[in-house]
Amino acid sequence: MSVDSMIRVVVPAILTLALLASPSVVSAGNARQGQPELVNGCVACHAVLEDRLAAPVGLLGDDVHAERGFSCVTCHGGDDSADVESRAKDPTFGYEGAPVGAGMVETCSRCHSDAELMRRFAPAQRVDQATEYAVSEHGRGLAEGDTNVATCVSCHGAHGVRRVSDARSPVFPLNVADTCAACHADPALMAGYQAPGGTPPPITQRADYQRSVHHAALTRGNDLSAPTCNDCHGNHGAAPPGVGDVANVCGTCHTSFAERFNDSTHGFLFDRGCTECHGSHAVQLGTDEMLGDAAPAYCVSCHETGDAGLVAAARMRSSIESLKRSFDEAQALVERLTVAGMEMGDQELELALARNQLTLARTEVHAFDADRVDPIIDAGLGILAGVDAAGVEALAELRFRRRGLALSLVLILLFVVALGFKVRQLDRMSHGGG
Amino acid sequence: MMPRLVSWLDERLDLTGLTRVALAKTVPSHVHKGWYYLGGVTLFLLFVQLATGILLLLYYRPSAAEAFESVQFILTQVEFGWLIRNVHAWSANLLIAAAFAHLFSVWLLKAYRKPRELTWVSGALLLFLMLAFGFSGYLLPWNTLALFATRVGTGMAGSVPLVGDFLMRFLRGGDEVTGATLSRFYALHVAILPAMTTLLLVVHLFFVQRQGMSVPFDVEQSLPPGGRVPQTPFFPNYVLRDLMAWYVAMALLAALAAFFPWELGLKADPLAPVPAGIRPEWYFVAVFHTLKLLPGRVLGLEGETLGVLPLARRHCSCRSSTARRQRDGLVGCSQCSDSGRWGISYRSR
Repeated sequence: MSVDSMIRVVVPAILTLALLASPSVVSAGNARQGQPELVNGCVACHAVLEDRLAAPVGLLGDDVHAERGFSCVTCHGGDDSADVESRAKDPTFGYEGAPVGAGMVETCSRCHSDAELMRRFAPAQRVDQATEYAVSEHGRGLAEGDTNVATCVSCHGAHGVRRVSDARSPVFPLNVADTCAACHADPALMAGYQAPGGTPPPITQRADYQRSVHHAALTRGNDLSAPTCNDCHGNHGAAPPGVGDVANVCGTCHTSFAERFNDSTHGFLFDRGCTECHGSHAVQLGTDEMLGDAAPAYCVSCHETGDAGLVAAARMRSSIESLKRSFDEAQALVERLTVAGMEMGDQELELALARNQLTLARTEVHAFDADRVDPIIDAGLGILAGVDAAGVEALAELRFRRRGLALSLVLILLFVVALGFKVRQLDRMSHGGG
Repeated sequence: MMPRLVSWLDERLDLTGLTRVALAKTVPSHVHKGWYYLGGVTLFLLFVQLATGILLLLYYRPSAAEAFESVQFILTQVEFGWLIRNVHAWSANLLIAAAFAHLFSVWLLKAYRKPRELTWVSGALLLFLMLAFGFSGYLLPWNTLALFATRVGTGMAGSVPLVGDFLMRFLRGGDEVTGATLSRFYALHVAILPAMTTLLLVVHLFFVQRQGMSVPFDVEQSLPPGGRVPQTPFFPNYVLRDLMAWYVAMALLAALAAFFPWELGLKADPLAPVPAGIRPEWYFVAVFHTLKLLPGRVLGLEGETLGVLPLARRHCSCRSSTARRQRDGLVGCSQCSDSGRWGISYRSR
């Protein structure tokens, strides 16, 4: 380590520790709110400067680093106890101004790549961000001298850095697409780049993603684990998945599908893996209509009429449709009987099992082997046959109950009428006698 | 054979004397006499509850692990179990409805006036016992709705001043509604409440028989000086009419049980979220919404305590004028219609 870099690391660290130990760092007012307030020379001066220079002071209130007691000098160096600019920005105190480009990554990684330091503040946080960044498209571009590429602050912000779990953070799952799109949807910025095939880079990813089932799950389904940009591309190591890796990327979540697909003929043949049929950013919910030997099935875009692949596709589709039909009929019967007051709890459980078989069959389709789908369909149809039998029995029981009720009501009515006549007779006798 | 048996019993029990009393008993006959049958219908429904309840006891198992399954077994496996359970559930509701109707008829006809104050008080206590039956019985199938309704209901008991916390823990058998609560509610439902009801019912019926039926004010005032309301023989004229009302109630019960079976729902899961559309039973809806309208505390008093004070005052006013009687009647009716209105709107949500 050179003397310069030692100074850059050690001096801010000592100053930081001194700052942490100093009672002046934390004001009484903010201790009440549980948030430290930096009342140092930097803040005192910047607070009264023009907007651009005063802005960081206003952002420190929400800054996770300030909250943990880190001061301006941790990143910028210098002396924040000074009350004159010349001393505050004295290079002998390690002042290095606003870090940019590689300097930015180095500044952040000074702490974030230090496992020992991070253990004290965020022990669960990874410390390999800088290593990942170095192999990302962004990191490679930076190494090649491209100053437009994203660095740490491009995504996380510089001042006012919030936790990833903070909904206001630009890297909170709901905000990631917008954060990435700030650059990737900017035609002017993206004009100077090329996609891997040498074509102009796409700028519609965010718009496509917003039409996808993943976006719907994230925003409308309130499922924060639903994928956004970084779940497929990586975050610090962001890069497009290479050809042949797509199934692995999708398989991170869709494990069962990926297992079957990777072992299938298509797994070896498809250049773009899952995206051949499902698309990438605008991925839609898979439907049964995607499978079959006639449009709109996707199979017909590669297979020709009569070939083995199309025959298998038609067979699988037909099996799935037969299970769906039987399921719908059985479900309608169970619902009708439940509404009529028959206890069909066991049959509802059986329906759930049959639905599982349908899900399993749809999963098995990704092996593209009809012989593997048929046994699952048969098991489902067997379950539904049991439900139908129980339904027919319950219908007979229901008819019996209704007839029994009708008979009882007739008997009761007759008895009430008879009683009425008797009461009238008695009343006449009473009045006659009295 | 039969005459000889009767003669044998008569010799020992003086049945002729009892028959003479029964035949001599009369009931006032006037334009409002139809209201008299509500008491009999309530009594009939209570007997239905007793009979179906005993039958359900043969299969019901009062534990958190088995209660739901045992009711499911009754509904699906036991011969006519579905009928018994549905009749029990529907009869419980009709019983409370009939008891309320009986209460309001007595109230509006001012039948509680001297010398029948004790009959009124014992009847009101019986109504509370019926509500307690409904509340305790609601939990017994151990389904999700019952669990959460009981959690809310026992939670309300917790806001009673001074003893609320004790009362809530006593009812629940702990801090939460668990299997211990089920055991307590079961004991309450099949032993404690029936014993109390039997005792009060005997007292109530004794008062009714001893004092006879009340004659409404306007009927009394329309009589000429020294005149007497026309009378109908209690036996067999009145008894047969009562029997007709009982049969109509039975037909209604059978139709409701067959066409609108009481839903069992899902087994109670204490860790599950509160189900959507949860509501108290219709007879608690008016109280539920009234209490919801009151602030938590008013001038240092619990809002709920404040809420029941006017009711207590109204129940105590036995010497009300006609105007007050009418006003009270309107309040009572509006409470009833509120209950119905809220019940309907709540169900439709």
